Amino acid sequence: MNPPTLEELVLALPSSLGSYGPLMQEIEKALASPQCSLGMIADVIEKDIDLTARLLRFSNSAYCGFSTRLSTVTEAIGLIGIQQVQDLLTASSVIERFAGVSNEFVSVQSFWQHSLATGIAGRLIAMERRLPRPDRLFVSGLLHDIGRLVLFLQAPKHAQKIFELYKKERILLREAEVRVLGYDHQNLAESLLKSWKYPPPLVMAVGNHHNPSSCEAARVEAAVVHLSDHLVNAMRVGSSGEHFVPPLNPQAWTTLGMTPGSLQMIVRGIDEQFDAVQEMFLGA
Amino acid sequence: MPRIKTESLQEGMVVSVDVKNIDNMLLIPSGCTLTVRQIGILQAWGVENIEVKSGGDAEAADKMTTMPADALEKLTAEVRATFWKADDADPVFAELFKIILRRRANRPAGK
Repeated sequence: MNPPTLEELVLALPSSLGSYGPLMQEIEKALASPQCSLGMIADVIEKDIDLTARLLRFSNSAYCGFSTRLSTVTEAIGLIGIQQVQDLLTASSVIERFAGVSNEFVSVQSFWQHSLATGIAGRLIAMERRLPRPDRLFVSGLLHDIGRLVLFLQAPKHAQKIFELYKKERILLREAEVRVLGYDHQNLAESLLKSWKYPPPLVMAVGNHHNPSSCEAARVEAAVVHLSDHLVNAMRVGSSGEHFVPPLNPQAWTTLGMTPGSLQMIVRGIDEQFDAVQEMFLGA
Repeated sequence: MPRIKTESLQEGMVVSVDVKNIDNMLLIPSGCTLTVRQIGILQAWGVENIEVKSGGDAEAADKMTTMPADALEKLTAEVRATFWKADDADPVFAELFKIILRRRANRPAGK
C-alpha cells in the first residue's frame, strides 16, 4: 500500500470555512465599508449569541489581562482589536472543521489542549521578545500540529502503521511519520495552510517548527513555535500523540535571544491563561 | 527571614525587605505580596534573590520542599525520562527541568 501524497491528503479536505464562514465574510464586508465602525462589527458578532458570550468571557479573562470589566462587544473589540477577533474566529473555525476526527490515535480534546497551550506560549514568547503581531503567533502555535489531524482523518491506515512503528522502536513520532510516509506532519500542515491561503510567515513557521533554522524567511516565527511546542510538551498540557519531549534546537534558542530566567514566566503565563483559552475554544 | 532566589519565587510570597535595583531605585517595597508581574520585573532587572517573610501560604504550598526524598527521586526520574536526548549540562535544559519538576510536584500530572 503506497502512502498518499501530500497533495492527495490536502485536496480531499473540504475547503469551506464551516459555520463561522458567513460571519467572517460579513466582518470583511463591514471592514471594507467606508462607514465601518466598531459598532458595525459588534452588530455582526452579536448575531451569534454563543460567540458573543464566549468573546466577553474571554475578553475579561487572564489571557487578555485588562484591569477594567468589559461588558459589551464594542468595548471588547475596541480593546482586543479587530485583527485579533478575526484570528480568534479563524482558530474557532479550524477547530470546528476537524470536529469529526476520532479519538482512535489521540484524544481530540487532548490534541487541542496541546495546540491551544502552544498558541498561548507562542503569544507570550512573542510579547516577551517584543515581536510584531503576537496574536499571529498564537494562531501559528494553535495550528502547528494540524497535519496530524489531517493524517488521522484522511489516512487512518497509515496513521496506524506510524503509531505501531513508533511504539515498537521507541522513536520520535515524527521520525515514524517520515519512515512510513516520506514526509511528516509539519510538511502536511504547510501544504494545507498554503492551500487555505494563510499568510506565508504563518505557513512557514508551522511548516518548519521542528527545523526552525532551515527556514530563512520565517526563522524567528518558526523558532517561537518550536520553543512553544517544546515547553508545552515538557509541561504535559494535552498531547498531539508524542510521548517524548523532542529536543530543543539550540539555534532556535539563540535566534530568539532568550535567557533561561525568562522560562519560568512563560510557563507560569501558560498555566494562568490556559483555562480561559480552553473555555473560549473548546467550551470546557 | 528566608532569602529566596528570584527563580524560586512564587506568587503570593510577602517581601520582607525593600528590593532595589543597582541604581538604588525601589522596585518592590517591603510588605508587598508578590504578583507574577512583579516576579517578572525582578527577573528583568537581574535581581538574584530577595528576602521574604517565612511561613507564607505560597511557601507552604510548594510541595517539593516537603516531599519525602524517595518520592522526589522517583518523580525526578519520571520527568527526566520524558525528555528525548536532553543534555544535563545544557543550562537551558537545566532551568526548564527545574521548573517542570517543581510544577509536577505541585499539581497532578496531565493538568
